[in-house]
Amino acid sequence: MTQKQKIRLNWEDPVTGQRREPLLSPPISLGRLFGAMPDTLDDRRVSRVVLDNDDRVSRYHALIDFQQNNWVIFDRNTGNGTFVNGIRRDYWVLTSGDVLQIGDRAITVTFTLESSPNSAIPFHPETGLPDPHAVLTPSPHSFPPVEFRQSEFVSPEFLQQSGIFDPQTDRFDYAAIGAGLGSYIWVDFLRIFGVRSQQIVALGTQPQPYAKYKQLCLNSQIPLHERLRSNSDSCPDNIWGWPSYALREAWHDLGRGKLANALRYLWQVFAEPTFAETYTPRAGNVFASIDREAARIGWSQMYRYGSVRAIRKTQDGKYAIAYSRGKGNYGYIVAKYLHLATGYPAIRFLPHLQIYREQTRDLTLVVNAYEPHDHIYQHLGFQGGTVLIQGRGIVASRIIQRLFEVRQQTGKPVKIVHLMRSPLQGGRQFGRSRRPVKHHWEFQPFNWPKACWGGDLREILERANPQTRLNLLKSWGGTTTADRRDWQQLTELGLRQGWYDIQFGTVQKVERVGPKLQVVIPSHALEVDFIIDATGLDAEVKASPLLEDLVTRYQLPLLENGRLAVSNEFELVEMRSTVPGESPGRMYAAGTITLGGPYAAVDSFLGLQYAALRSIDALTVAQSPQLHYLNGFSSLQQWYNWAIGRSP
Amino acid sequence: MTPTLLGRWQTRILLLTLVGFPITLPFTIGAIGPGASPIFGLTLLYVILFGLLWDVVYDFLQQFRWDRDWPGALQLLAGMGEAVFLGAIAKSIPLPGLLTEDLSLRWFAIHYTCVWLGVYVASQSLTRILFPRWRFRGGKWLG
Repeated sequence: MTQKQKIRLNWEDPVTGQRREPLLSPPISLGRLFGAMPDTLDDRRVSRVVLDNDDRVSRYHALIDFQQNNWVIFDRNTGNGTFVNGIRRDYWVLTSGDVLQIGDRAITVTFTLESSPNSAIPFHPETGLPDPHAVLTPSPHSFPPVEFRQSEFVSPEFLQQSGIFDPQTDRFDYAAIGAGLGSYIWVDFLRIFGVRSQQIVALGTQPQPYAKYKQLCLNSQIPLHERLRSNSDSCPDNIWGWPSYALREAWHDLGRGKLANALRYLWQVFAEPTFAETYTPRAGNVFASIDREAARIGWSQMYRYGSVRAIRKTQDGKYAIAYSRGKGNYGYIVAKYLHLATGYPAIRFLPHLQIYREQTRDLTLVVNAYEPHDHIYQHLGFQGGTVLIQGRGIVASRIIQRLFEVRQQTGKPVKIVHLMRSPLQGGRQFGRSRRPVKHHWEFQPFNWPKACWGGDLREILERANPQTRLNLLKSWGGTTTADRRDWQQLTELGLRQGWYDIQFGTVQKVERVGPKLQVVIPSHALEVDFIIDATGLDAEVKASPLLEDLVTRYQLPLLENGRLAVSNEFELVEMRSTVPGESPGRMYAAGTITLGGPYAAVDSFLGLQYAALRSIDALTVAQSPQLHYLNGFSSLQQWYNWAIGRSP
Repeated sequence: MTPTLLGRWQTRILLLTLVGFPITLPFTIGAIGPGASPIFGLTLLYVILFGLLWDVVYDFLQQFRWDRDWPGALQLLAGMGEAVFLGAIAKSIPLPGLLTEDLSLRWFAIHYTCVWLGVYVASQSLTRILFPRWRFRGGKWLG
């Protein structure tokens, strides 16, 4: 596959205030007059970018080209010059994220490949929603300024003189970056451990902590009444896990006279997974419980809208956070203790599907299970059709269930081709046990064996060295689905009736043939109407501009799987912000960006609670402000407050 | 909670002591059962002692389970096994302090059931509230 280098320029038009962000192939000329710039250069067509209404821009001002594997910029001996990151240059090798200043305009450059084998759909930095058109630039608005971006330690004077930092309202002891579920759980624990809400800020783009999670659930066909793949006592609203969701649902149903349901839930949690199907909570119930707890701890007072652009240590042992408030407004926040829980930066796409999408610009026939794709079910409901599914995890299970529902409700001929890379005979083996397999699906109640949350597997992983950890994760993880009776009945019914078909092979090519898609696998070609990629989300640090910038600036160690290296307390130890005579500022991380570290189930509710507990216990030992160790008495007191809905 | 061996031992000692003995008290003073007798407290001690060995067996069996967990249903089966074992031993071999003829199997079963239920309910509720780290540490509450 050939990969064409492209560059994206991004600036705000000084007259209209509109953002411009063209994606261009080299060579690229920049100037005030279209006609003054050459249309070809060495037989290559020149992309001409006009920067008009500014006398300081020359008629043909600068040229950007891709030479010997580098992006370079040449100033055309102009009177007013070309500045790269604030310094005047006649010639310069560019780095993705550099800011060019030409006249009034600050232009951010970002490098991309026209077709990249590891492409993904990023979550839009301002809305937090999956957006195939979103552009990930380290600094799409030339904020923060170069002085901030290039320094390792930001001075308090810089912040004071910035005019967008108010020490009265922008300084906190604790800051949670992300404001999603990871942040919410950490903040919940801080509050329960004694910190007042005025000392905490949670920065993110959506006020409800579960907003992104809920959106991904809905997109992947888990409506509110359906059940999540989560344990009964994994309660993001309750650090004790009691009363568990099964108990609450049993109590609720009992109150409505549904005794059989109530008993069933209790039996499930008593006997699962050996003698009963594992209980899992309804999505809607989990979100409602999070809302209640958010109100109790004062989440809305701590939440602040902001898309975080960059984080730097300060010279006085804290951290400065540069963030966008939207609509061209920016601000800084300073905090002593930081928690990074930014979640999955992007949706992963299988390479052949990404190539198809980029070449055809068709985003409707080939979709990822995590992006909105209701149009497929609507279309199938009208005229039926064949859907190719890739991936054999829980999302694939749920999509198959949804397709079956369309088939049942409309009576239209909906067929499913499930394409798997290779047959699966036996499940993975670890020690004396083996994971069960049926119809080439591997079964496990949750995404890790249960003992990863708090049993011996957790201890084994924590004790292991980095390489062993990755090997252990390989043996325990992988793609699995839940052993749900209804799903297995569906699979068997579908196989018997012929509307569900399992095929093996890797896709070589996807092409549009009339209204249909032709999928070429080594043995033959398949004709389908839609393709749904259910292979998952991408969590590599390099997919997040914020994390990538942090890693680059402070040379943070990355794990072999591209995630952040954290201590057993989930601290980014290299990020300690030390200053003589004072305890250092500390930065912690949680969630999927820490996979490969001391804990396996980092992207689960209970795993986020574990990470929060470890980090806050460590902060308590370090005598961080207002934190008190949660002992038996205070725990009981706090639980009582929770039970009666009183603020911690 | 998915127990580890150390966690099993610590939890067994904690709950049988803090929950088991208060439940045993009405039996000991004769408020419930055939009359005041120290025998109920002694059987409870044996449940703890033999249990420490049983826990090694359970921990071994756990290795054969993919999830390495130990659901409530298995706790119940294990508890019944322990009771049958202790009853049989106590009836056939004179255990120190436990006179065979003093032990009514019927009252032993009633007492044992009350203790088991009390411990199970406490492990599912109060233990989680008093020891918020317990469930992440395989049942360890010390250290």
